[in-house]
Amino acid sequence: MSEHGRYDAIVAGAGHNGLTAACYLQKAGLRTLVVEKNDWIGGAAVSRSLTPGWTYSNCSYVCSLLRREIVRDLDLPRFGLQVIPYEGGGSFTRDGRHFGYYADPAQLRRELRRHSPRDADAYQRYSRTILRQCRFIRPFLLRPAPDPLSARPRDLGELAFLLKRAHGLGSRELGETIRFWTASIGDFLDEHFESDLVKAHLAGSGIIGTGLGVYSPGTAYVLLHHYMGDVDGAIGAWGFARGGMGAISNALAAAFEEAGGTIRTGAGVEEILVDDGKVTGLALSDGAEFRAPIVASNMDVKRTILRHTPRAALPEDYLRAVERFKIRGSSAKLNIALDGMPEFPAAPPGASFLRGDLHCSESLRELERAYDDWKRGRWSDEPYFDMLIPSQIDPTMAPPGKHMMTVFIQYAPYELEAEGLRAAGNWTPERRQAMAETVLDKIEVACPDIRRRIHHMEIRSPKELEDEVGLTEGNIFQGELTFDQLLFNRPVPGYARYDTPVKGLYIVGSSAHPGGGVMAAPGANAAREILHRIGRAGNMPDLAA
Amino acid sequence: MSARYDAVVVGGGHNGLVAAATLARAGRRVCVLERADRLGGMAAGGAFPDGTPMPRIAHLLYNLSPAVLNELGFGAGGPVETRALPTVCLDPEGRHVVVRDGSPVLADGRPHPEAEAYRRLAARLVRFGGLLARLADAPPPQVSERLADLAGMRRLGPLAALGWDFRKLGRGDRREFLRIVLSNAHDVILDELSDGPLAGSLAADAVRGAWAGPRAPGTVFSLMYRLARGGGAALPLGGMDAVIAALADRARSLGAALRTGAEVTEVRVEGDRACGVRLADGEEIAAGAVLVATAPGAAMRLAGPAHYDIEAVRRLRNMRAKGTAAKLNLRLDGLPEVPGLGPELLGGRLLLAPSVEQVERAFDPVKYGRVSEAPVIEAVIPSLTDPQAAPHGGHVLSAIVQYVPHAPEGGWTGAARDRLRDVALAALETALPGLSARVTAAETLTPSDIEAATGAPGGHWHHGELSLDQLLTVRPVNGMARYRFGPAGHYLCGAGAHPGGDVMGAPGRNAARVALADATAGEAAA
Ligand SMILES: Cc1cc2nc3c(=O)[nH]c(=O)nc-3n(C[C@H](O)[C@H](O)[C@H](O)COP(=O)(O)OP(=O)(O)OC[C@H]3O[C@@H](n4cnc5c(N)ncnc54)[C@H](O)[C@@H]3O)c2cc1C
Ligand SMILES: Cc1cc2nc3c(=O)[nH]c(=O)nc-3n(C[C@H](O)[C@H](O)[C@H](O)COP(=O)(O)OP(=O)(O)OC[C@H]3O[C@@H](n4cnc5c(N)ncnc54)[C@H](O)[C@@H]3O)c2cc1C
Repeated sequence: MSEHGRYDAIVAGAGHNGLTAACYLQKAGLRTLVVEKNDWIGGAAVSRSLTPGWTYSNCSYVCSLLRREIVRDLDLPRFGLQVIPYEGGGSFTRDGRHFGYYADPAQLRRELRRHSPRDADAYQRYSRTILRQCRFIRPFLLRPAPDPLSARPRDLGELAFLLKRAHGLGSRELGETIRFWTASIGDFLDEHFESDLVKAHLAGSGIIGTGLGVYSPGTAYVLLHHYMGDVDGAIGAWGFARGGMGAISNALAAAFEEAGGTIRTGAGVEEILVDDGKVTGLALSDGAEFRAPIVASNMDVKRTILRHTPRAALPEDYLRAVERFKIRGSSAKLNIALDGMPEFPAAPPGASFLRGDLHCSESLRELERAYDDWKRGRWSDEPYFDMLIPSQIDPTMAPPGKHMMTVFIQYAPYELEAEGLRAAGNWTPERRQAMAETVLDKIEVACPDIRRRIHHMEIRSPKELEDEVGLTEGNIFQGELTFDQLLFNRPVPGYARYDTPVKGLYIVGSSAHPGGGVMAAPGANAAREILHRIGRAGNMPDLAA
Repeated sequence: MSARYDAVVVGGGHNGLVAAATLARAGRRVCVLERADRLGGMAAGGAFPDGTPMPRIAHLLYNLSPAVLNELGFGAGGPVETRALPTVCLDPEGRHVVVRDGSPVLADGRPHPEAEAYRRLAARLVRFGGLLARLADAPPPQVSERLADLAGMRRLGPLAALGWDFRKLGRGDRREFLRIVLSNAHDVILDELSDGPLAGSLAADAVRGAWAGPRAPGTVFSLMYRLARGGGAALPLGGMDAVIAALADRARSLGAALRTGAEVTEVRVEGDRACGVRLADGEEIAAGAVLVATAPGAAMRLAGPAHYDIEAVRRLRNMRAKGTAAKLNLRLDGLPEVPGLGPELLGGRLLLAPSVEQVERAFDPVKYGRVSEAPVIEAVIPSLTDPQAAPHGGHVLSAIVQYVPHAPEGGWTGAARDRLRDVALAALETALPGLSARVTAAETLTPSDIEAATGAPGGHWHHGELSLDQLLTVRPVNGMARYRFGPAGHYLCGAGAHPGGDVMGAPGRNAARVALADATAGEAAA
């Protein structure tokens, strides 16, 4: 006989946002159940061992966006979370040159001067602008998006907050902010720098996870989206979660369970049960059914609504809006177990930047071309990648003397073109392997011995990301981060407050404001909204304060 | 110094003429100085070797500002007689689509399967465009530092009008406006239509003159800009040249002096105030104000960078202006027989943009300094509608060809120019078979030729990219959006200023009004 049960709230999906929401609901006194389709938790913030002795951060791999306020409030370090900052990064070229993005300002300045004295000066201006923009945006992350079309007092409050901040900038700075938000990262960098390599190094963060090229307007914002985090208070700094990104989800899960919550893995949601416009619970793939007046879906909005909610329960225009929500995948990943540290012959001996993020893209032009390939349904001939070897800093990731390498790849389409047809089904094991070979060829620019070092390799195209994590089309942010899908438009205009037309059904994952990344902000904001609607807002601390 | 004017206008393009007429109408003594031997700038006419008039660069009207027409006393008919043209979306497969008044049918008269979806989408974009047009007739809104003070409120005027119109939209429309206004044409079009010539034509209108493909965020804004006054397109009888002649006549009859062959090499500044200009031949002309209709960077150089703060200089240097539109003008000894397109349709606005995907694909090469092999083309055969267009018989075809780089790899050699002509002809030939055989003379204008002829940097349609980061409050650049341009008495009045390019007249009019207000205030203070 199948299992039944009644809860105050059920969270569908044990990604880090679902777990964050669950923590806050449970702590506010709601009996909360989390159900997860996989046998493990974490979604795209996960650590798994696929070959004995090694741990992969299978999807997300570096941590910075995770809101400090939440880490502190839930006391995550007590549950094992430790974020270790890493320093700098570097780029390598085919003709043996390199650029080292040193964390030490004096050293970075020397290195920039080596490429272009002008760029060394421009960098001051550049980093000041980025920092100012980060400071502007951060206070918004833990608040609901201001909605200019709502007259509800709470929305007017958010709007007033935005206006006050914007006003505080002064008209000149406001103009610069408008420009920055709408510019392409390519143009923005061209305005500052002359060295192709320096520009290419800095541009990557503007395209990660997007269906845009470095010269597409809006990519400067995407860069910001990656810089607005911090590690130990250093804005824009990135770190590794000790034990891999799963450590974040595991700490959240432990906090949730300590507060009395229940996690059930191994069976996914089949259907979200709705009666008379109100959610009543969930039916799972193993036949179990659970009842609750609140269902918080951590799945992306397309999956939640189009696959698991009865169409009849939803108005047509809402369905249309969800259908046209853009969620094109563009990223792939290699996770590699290495039987030793690869060599970087072009790097100065003992270079500290090798512990950071490494790239082999030489110019903005090359990056733009990589985008053109994606538009045509092919993986990039000259892909951009963001490559790290976290085991240099975190020894728990590999056996002694061995290493783990994570390679994030941009661009790879979800619907791969083959024989004139674009389809996700074209991602056969052979083609996946062929994509990996393209990437490995390029990694050889930096470390010629890479292929000899490979002990085991996991290859993930957007198709695998969809199948395993449930990210529709493999989009890493649960929905593209373009103007039409940010702030009060995210995920659906008129439904930016984590709600849906079905009473009691909420969207709490990265599909919701402020969007993707291991940030935990959507989950926390959503929990606050849910509690507000049932008159229990007082039971949750005000994280934005 | 020689003659003294209240104002001189540098550049006799249509915006310069509108500015001059606006000033003259207010009783000011004005002189327009145009470098070329004929007025008109990008709207100036030309001639084929046999004397037949040539629509040299711009060829159709769709964005003329009603405020300009009104104030200059042209009435609703406009400065010249026009003929509305249907849009013909050419299909290489022969299933051409005709759009009249926002409604598509197949060229053979059968209903178009997506007519209703297209009508809805186009009508909505036109509605939203009309909203934006509200902003075109005044300096861009400025959210001033002191929102509360009176001047600040006054400056918010047009924004308030916009707000009022905005409220009149239904709730669904308001949400939709805020969703799509910053988004990309590719998605907004393909959310409603299947990809093909009809969708492709909308995409082509979204990127007209732009260094952007339809996938670029911001292209919905430029599409609304294009559709702001109903979305149609009209052929001016007598060509764009007749429009310029009418504007020039009006300026003259209001008392403005118009000089051609007068290149300004310097705007003279004394005590941080513009006080006149110097011409290439050394002549100096004193004036109380100088309005410059050239591109923003050139305007700054005329006055001298020393009169701008360092940030302004940097911003102006960084303003993006990479033109992508070339022009192919053909003299024909007759018309090809095109199956499925009778003379009425052949005389329409012919759009070769077979799909949104192909418009995007046409953009890709230009990013790397190469010409599209399958360019997007807007062509008109004015001689089918306007008897004055080919008085000596035969026909004329005017084609805007996109995307063509301003500075191609290897430069614009004679061979490169010939190749551009051949590529464009071959593309036209796919939809108009037999065309090449009828060509008796051809003129190819690359973006770099257009730059040489008009001074527009990169030969850019709008004197500077019309992208989200160079619009409204930050057009041409942050801090200089309200026509006052550096030293006191110096104004920008061309397409590089708000709201932007097209034969519209709004920048010229708005700038002249700001100059007039300043002069009046100065006189009151004195
Ligand atoms: C390859 C990759 C690299 C990335 N790199 C970084 C990075 O370095 N840094 C960073 O900050 N961000 C990174 N991101 C983005 C970030 O990981 C995600 O945006 C974030 O983890 C999403 O979290 P979430 O909780 O919103 O949703 P998810 O992690 O997507 O969680 C959704 C959960 O729902 C579960 N689920 C799906 N369907 C069902 C069902 N029917 N029933 C029950 N459960 C279901 C899934 O299994 C999953 O556990 C990366 C993402 C990817 C894919
Ligand atoms: C290929 C192409 C096709 C187009 N087609 C259309 C169309 O069909 N319909 C439409 O509405 N728009 C069209 N446009 C756009 C439109 O033509 C322009 O946006 C508009 O004409 C610009 O007008 P303007 O007065 O601001 O500047 P311009 O027309 O560029 O005039 C500037 C004038 O300043 C003069 N000048 C420059 N420097 C000096 C100097 N130092 N001293 C004196 N004079 C100087 C120049 O000679 C020129 O006459 C097209 C543009 C291009 C490039």
